[in-house]
Amino acid sequence: MYTKEEIDIIVLSSFNEIPLNIKYSLFSDGNYEYKKNKLIKTLPCGVYNKVESNFSDRAYRQSVLDGLEKKGIKCVTSVSADYPETLKNIDVPPLLLYCKGDTSLLKSNCFSVVGSRRTPPDALAHCKKLAGELSSVFTVVTGLAEGADTSVLEGALAAGGKVISVLANGFGCVYPACNSSLLKRVENQGLAITEHLPHVKPQPRFFPVRNRIIAGLSRGTLVVCAPEKSGALITAEYAEEYNRDVFAFPYSLGVAVGAGCNFLIKKGAKLTENVLDIFAAYGLDFNTHEKIQLTELEYEVYEYLKNSDKAFIFEVAESLHKFPNEIIPAMMSLQIKGLAVGLGGNAYKALNR
Amino acid sequence: MLSKVTGFALIGLEGVPVEVETDINKGMVSYDLVGLPDAAVKESKERVRSAIKNSAFNFPVNKITINLAPADIKKEGSHFDLPLAISILKASGQLTGGQDFVLLGELALDGALRPVTGILPVLISARDKGFKRFIVPATNANEASYIEGIEVYALSSLKDTVKLITGEQTFNPVQPRSFNSAQRQRSYNCDLSFVKGQKVAKRALEIAVAGGHNILLAGPPGTGKTMLARCIPTIMPDLTFEEALEVTKIHSVSGELSDDGIVSLRPFRTPHHTATTVSLCGGGNSKIRAGEISKAHKGVLFLDELPEYNRSTLESLRQPLEDKIITVTRAGGAVTFPADFILCASMNPCPCGNYGSSYLQCSCTPAQIHKYRSKVSGPLLDRIDLQVEVDGVKYDDLSSEAVGESSAQVKARVEKARAIQRERLSRDNMTVNANMGERQIKSYCRLDTECESILKNAFEALHLSARARSRIIKVARTIADLDFSQNIKPHHILEAVSYRSFEI
Repeated sequence: MYTKEEIDIIVLSSFNEIPLNIKYSLFSDGNYEYKKNKLIKTLPCGVYNKVESNFSDRAYRQSVLDGLEKKGIKCVTSVSADYPETLKNIDVPPLLLYCKGDTSLLKSNCFSVVGSRRTPPDALAHCKKLAGELSSVFTVVTGLAEGADTSVLEGALAAGGKVISVLANGFGCVYPACNSSLLKRVENQGLAITEHLPHVKPQPRFFPVRNRIIAGLSRGTLVVCAPEKSGALITAEYAEEYNRDVFAFPYSLGVAVGAGCNFLIKKGAKLTENVLDIFAAYGLDFNTHEKIQLTELEYEVYEYLKNSDKAFIFEVAESLHKFPNEIIPAMMSLQIKGLAVGLGGNAYKALNR
Repeated sequence: MLSKVTGFALIGLEGVPVEVETDINKGMVSYDLVGLPDAAVKESKERVRSAIKNSAFNFPVNKITINLAPADIKKEGSHFDLPLAISILKASGQLTGGQDFVLLGELALDGALRPVTGILPVLISARDKGFKRFIVPATNANEASYIEGIEVYALSSLKDTVKLITGEQTFNPVQPRSFNSAQRQRSYNCDLSFVKGQKVAKRALEIAVAGGHNILLAGPPGTGKTMLARCIPTIMPDLTFEEALEVTKIHSVSGELSDDGIVSLRPFRTPHHTATTVSLCGGGNSKIRAGEISKAHKGVLFLDELPEYNRSTLESLRQPLEDKIITVTRAGGAVTFPADFILCASMNPCPCGNYGSSYLQCSCTPAQIHKYRSKVSGPLLDRIDLQVEVDGVKYDDLSSEAVGESSAQVKARVEKARAIQRERLSRDNMTVNANMGERQIKSYCRLDTECESILKNAFEALHLSARARSRIIKVARTIADLDFSQNIKPHHILEAVSYRSFEI
């Protein structure tokens, strides 16, 4: 059940004629009373009349609540018990979070992992593994985009961890549509949140604004891949602004998709190669000494991969004096064991144990 | 006076005897041709008239009625000219005899005999129906020379035909030729050793041919996909005579036969991506013709740039890929063509083409790549057992100077693997692993617990779709056969899995 204050916020939020910034300002000074006078000053006459007539209307208030309940959406407002302290400390805290899933996760120990949609396959594989390991301690926070976000969610969900996915659109229009089944899994095993009404479609300007919630929820943010201009960099900027830790994967010289990560490291973000680097920052311990059995050939191939940035099957075969049909199964086995990743075009790269 | 001679009509690849009956009566001068002739047969009147005149015979100035029996099947093609001319000469009393010949040929205005299409299937059906003696145009002699047990005269003019029938001059029948000599004379233009690098793709081709699997090559432009595909026929076992005759039949009807009269090399067909469904599968209004998939019978159908093909056109390939035959049905009747081919398709890995390239940056988002790849439908991809990425290396860049294996070496291995499969599958009336159904997979492809667990891990780690399973096992069986291994071993399974990784 919601309190009257909460319902006030939910009902006010239901008017999509009122811009988000005005909704924020109405409640910004900690006084959650509905301010008629303030509204009159800021809204056009027609909108004001609609809000005025509906706001106190019992039937309307009930219909808003019923509508949300029917869609399975729970609301966490800035005055709710579930609303996390971490979010209250950011410059513009969201007034209302529409949630699907376990809302208690909002107050748990969160860590966000973000990255570009064009994250290269090897970084994706790292990121997936790392998300799984992180989820043993943290609730992993990210978006729902393809590329890095998807890998993070899949890694953490597969490891049985808790996740929060922050959307930049309403629950009614899942974006990207190909991830709608992933979103279902997130709702069942974790939490999906958004500050938009269910019918709202994603717009480019929503994404940077959404990123402040990702950064705000988390103790730290890891950027796995970011070109010079990237949404992930915006998240990192917010995290820095809110005095949270920023971590980043390192990239080689001249790798365009990693330029943003290197820029962050230059500015003081913690260089991160594996989960230990993150856990060390929080004084946590992690036992990675899980032995993976390798055959002799697999070991040779793995050693070769580790010593090269990117190796084609034919290169490996030539340097180990083997036939390609001996190397192909070994490479596949390494992939299945999570020690190698295909980069396309029969080229492979080693992953850290 | 009434006369009768024998010609042949073609329905699909089947020949049907047609009796050409001519009756000449007194009355108004006329020329009536009945018995469902098509335009080419109707037009023959003018050719026949001139040819008879210019061969120093008389074209009767009477009421001429010609009937093509049986009257209920459509007669098509210009090869009725010769029987029509002979029949008229007989009816007008200028010639006797000739009932025991089957006559085929188109007439030129000067009475010369011109080549016609479809000689081979006609001769084969006619032989099977008990006809023994044939007269065909001289240019078709080569095509006719491969069929045993018949007497074929290849003549160059109407005059010669008359001389043969009356016995005025003797002609030698066409000498039978052996297929082997024809085969030895021709060879493919390309060889696997010409393709630099691409060891993974070459290995995949070997597996595909050995097991009769269909294959998809994906890779950046300019990495040699087309060249690899052109090498597929060179590593396939040689055509046997029976296979060659089957293929030649189709090519003969389509009029695509080369001078030596028989298809001795495996066909390699490359329809452009603007091809229509009918051009691929076969069809046509009056005469149902074979499509590209039938012309690729016993050979390779190469679809370059697979996603560019019309989707519904590609979907039409699904049934022939399973059944190895296609039945084309039109209002005029249904014709069944064989269509037992290896499908080789090629595509770029993404819209910009550079995904996986070692020298160019791919600029596509995952969504774009997904959209591009989903242009090819799942059910079709499902029928392509091997999906291989070619190395993203320009072959000018390859440092290795070593010359790879030649096609002949690979072919020798393929033939051994095929022999093993033939023996194992002989009871099920199959020849290659690709044709195995669930029942055969169960009995011939048992997996031990280690293989099972590898396969299970692979499915989990790589998110393979469940329907990939039996495909992987079939390919693993072929790899084991190439290895002369009785059982499927873990590394066979692992290698087979790697040829599905494109779909991840």
